[in-house]
Amino acid sequence: MATTVNKKKYKAPRVFLIVMAVGVFITGMYGFGSKLEQFIRAVIVENEADFTLIPVLNYMFAAAGFLCLFGWAAKNGMFKDLEKPKYDMLEYDRELDEVDGIDWEKQA
Amino acid sequence: MFESKSGILAIGGVGFFVFAYIVMGALPWTIYKDQPEKSILEVASEGIPHEFVDLAERFPAQFKEHFGEVSYESFAAALELGRDIYVGEACWHCHSQFIRPVSREDIRWGPIAHAREYNNELQRPVLFGTRRVGPDLSREAGRRSNDWHIAHFYEPTNVVAASVMPAYPWFFDEADVPNKRGMAIIAYVQWLGSWLDEYPYYEEAPKAPKLDDDASSTEVADHGHDREQEEI
Amino acid sequence: MTTAASPPLMPARDTSGAHALVDHKLVTSYFVASFVYYIIALLAGGLYSMQFLQHYPFPGAELFSPGRIRMLHTNGMAYGFIANAFLGGLHWAVPRLTLRPVLSAKLSWFIFIAWQGIVLGTVGGLLTGQAQAVEWGETPVWIDPVAVLGLTLVGANFLASVFRMRSSMYVSVWYFIAALPWTLLTYTMGNFFVEYWIGGTASGAIIGLFIHDLVGLFVTPIGWGLMYYFVPIILKKPIWSHGLSLVGFWGLAFFYPLNGIHHFLYTPIPMFLQHGAIVATIAVEFVVTTVIINFFMTLRGSGDALRRNLPIRWFYVGMVFYFTTCLQCAFQVTLTFQKIIHFSDWVVGHAHLVMFGVFGFWIMGMFTYLFPRLVGATRWYSDKLNAWHFWLSAIGMLIMFFDLVIAGLVQGFLWKDLAIWEESLRASMPFWMIRSWSGLGIIVAQFLFGWNMYKTATDRSLRAA
Repeated sequence: MATTVNKKKYKAPRVFLIVMAVGVFITGMYGFGSKLEQFIRAVIVENEADFTLIPVLNYMFAAAGFLCLFGWAAKNGMFKDLEKPKYDMLEYDRELDEVDGIDWEKQA
Repeated sequence: MFESKSGILAIGGVGFFVFAYIVMGALPWTIYKDQPEKSILEVASEGIPHEFVDLAERFPAQFKEHFGEVSYESFAAALELGRDIYVGEACWHCHSQFIRPVSREDIRWGPIAHAREYNNELQRPVLFGTRRVGPDLSREAGRRSNDWHIAHFYEPTNVVAASVMPAYPWFFDEADVPNKRGMAIIAYVQWLGSWLDEYPYYEEAPKAPKLDDDASSTEVADHGHDREQEEI
Repeated sequence: MTTAASPPLMPARDTSGAHALVDHKLVTSYFVASFVYYIIALLAGGLYSMQFLQHYPFPGAELFSPGRIRMLHTNGMAYGFIANAFLGGLHWAVPRLTLRPVLSAKLSWFIFIAWQGIVLGTVGGLLTGQAQAVEWGETPVWIDPVAVLGLTLVGANFLASVFRMRSSMYVSVWYFIAALPWTLLTYTMGNFFVEYWIGGTASGAIIGLFIHDLVGLFVTPIGWGLMYYFVPIILKKPIWSHGLSLVGFWGLAFFYPLNGIHHFLYTPIPMFLQHGAIVATIAVEFVVTTVIINFFMTLRGSGDALRRNLPIRWFYVGMVFYFTTCLQCAFQVTLTFQKIIHFSDWVVGHAHLVMFGVFGFWIMGMFTYLFPRLVGATRWYSDKLNAWHFWLSAIGMLIMFFDLVIAGLVQGFLWKDLAIWEESLRASMPFWMIRSWSGLGIIVAQFLFGWNMYKTATDRSLRAA
């Protein structure tokens, strides 16, 4: 069972992780930038587009909320060992199943 | 939770969701105080289409019972009920109400939709629609006679053989006498687009460049016309 | 609260075990309710499709008017089938992931009963013609406040587990945290704003956001959260990269809600908004790719499970469909495609692949995995029936998808070429015929599954000793 953390196993995913994270960040910021542009245009430029402030602002507040949650998670050290939760959840489930009398080895 | 800085962040995170919630509610008032939306009565007062008067003349007793005299108020009442039926019967799931600037829709139906056309209480929520099984209806007013609509609502395939529109016999007292709901939905459909000066009658003479099916279009228009005569 | 300290393993361990955490009866009830609405909504869809063949079995019956049946089909699927199945799945997964029970067992049952009331009220309201003109939110206006209250309670019930959790959060939990307040926000936005405060073109922008967010912020996160839970559990190995899964989650959290207006391109909504929505939609495809790669790298080395393990097959075929829809989406939001395919059956095909091919498949996989265990059976009554269920559904879905997508192109080009309207109806007729038959295949498959469920629950010889 993969209860012990195997650092070697991390390597291939980690390179990939960084590449994808950068990719998502760039495309995401592009999307965010266009949202900001919409906000500015709705406020200043386009007269008939005032109503778009509602979805746009709504989006921005929700994003701010997620930013706070992200900070909260980071402060709590949830990103210190990125891979730990995936082993934990398997371990929990195995133990819970054991209590229920279900044998994991046999099931797999 | 409160003892650590991270707790504050968590509360802030959830707080922003709540804030977004409040803003969603509060913002419309601040934005819309300068752009008042037309009420149904205001819309009705812009002009009563000839077809509404026609209903009153054709079915005087029933019309009087359902709507009273022809007036802005009675027209507004008919429009409101008509819209509710249009929504409740899911007409808007098969008929759109906006003309796009692409796909030659302006040739088929008429002027491209403009935002101000939708600034009234009958478009709350807006009835743009997302599917066209049947044609767009935003330029439908006056395109066809009340008789056509009566026959068509009663049994669409009698008028258009290929139609997949359901029949609505519950809009009628008898086969050719619409009840209150029938009159309301006809009044509503005959109002859609009545605010425009003119638009093409696409079944007759599309003025498209490179168009090669004029012949067949005209044929069907005549066909529809014949049917209409039969129904009367 | 650092990750260094190993998480204190469960109060459950020294009480009565997993049963103290997960109320099996509740999960079963949700699944059964979900399945019942599923069948009803499927039949409604099949019935509605017959109108397109000019062979509607109840012509002129007001309560079964095709238009009303259509709304029953979509709303029944969204609120009856998917919402119930997801709530059941959450009641299973959240306590097991957090090792904390939900806020209150009584509250959970109250929500269950209230939610069935909401769905039944919606069904009654729609059939009597009291719909609200919001696509996917046709729930009558008098239901809306109740539904919002219900969603608030659901949020409180599950978030209580999450915030009492001690260890670092697994990605599924992140998805659930996001989905719960989002669903509430989205529902309020789509059902109240456009009804009471904002009319006209503006409400088009908001309805677009509602349609989009209901799929993207309610169904998608919970669906993926459940996948991130069930796939490793069944394969008995951890997800390939948890870090990558978090990238996928935060990508979704920050950038998914940008897209709503792409449902109403070329409307009178200002063009700069439409462009923004298109750009953001294509950006989201990048996020989707990370998720898909993660799951398929997890499967690497256990590909055999696709053959042997039916739930895994449901899940991964669903993921392939997911990637297909997302890819399709990246194309269809472009203005070039929109000219032709908007208003046509192309979109209908897309919607069916998303709701049934992806989320329906995942839910069926979840049912297949959990149901015998929930009712205390050692195995399914018949594995053969389950296999039929899968293959009929999958083949039916594929035929329906390609059929409708092609039909959409045919319709779109006929309209553009200014063919008279009836021409587009006649040309669509064969496609609609195929659609009905493929739909019938899907319905039959679900009936087989229902029979299998019934026998599994009642056959005493399957009980654990």
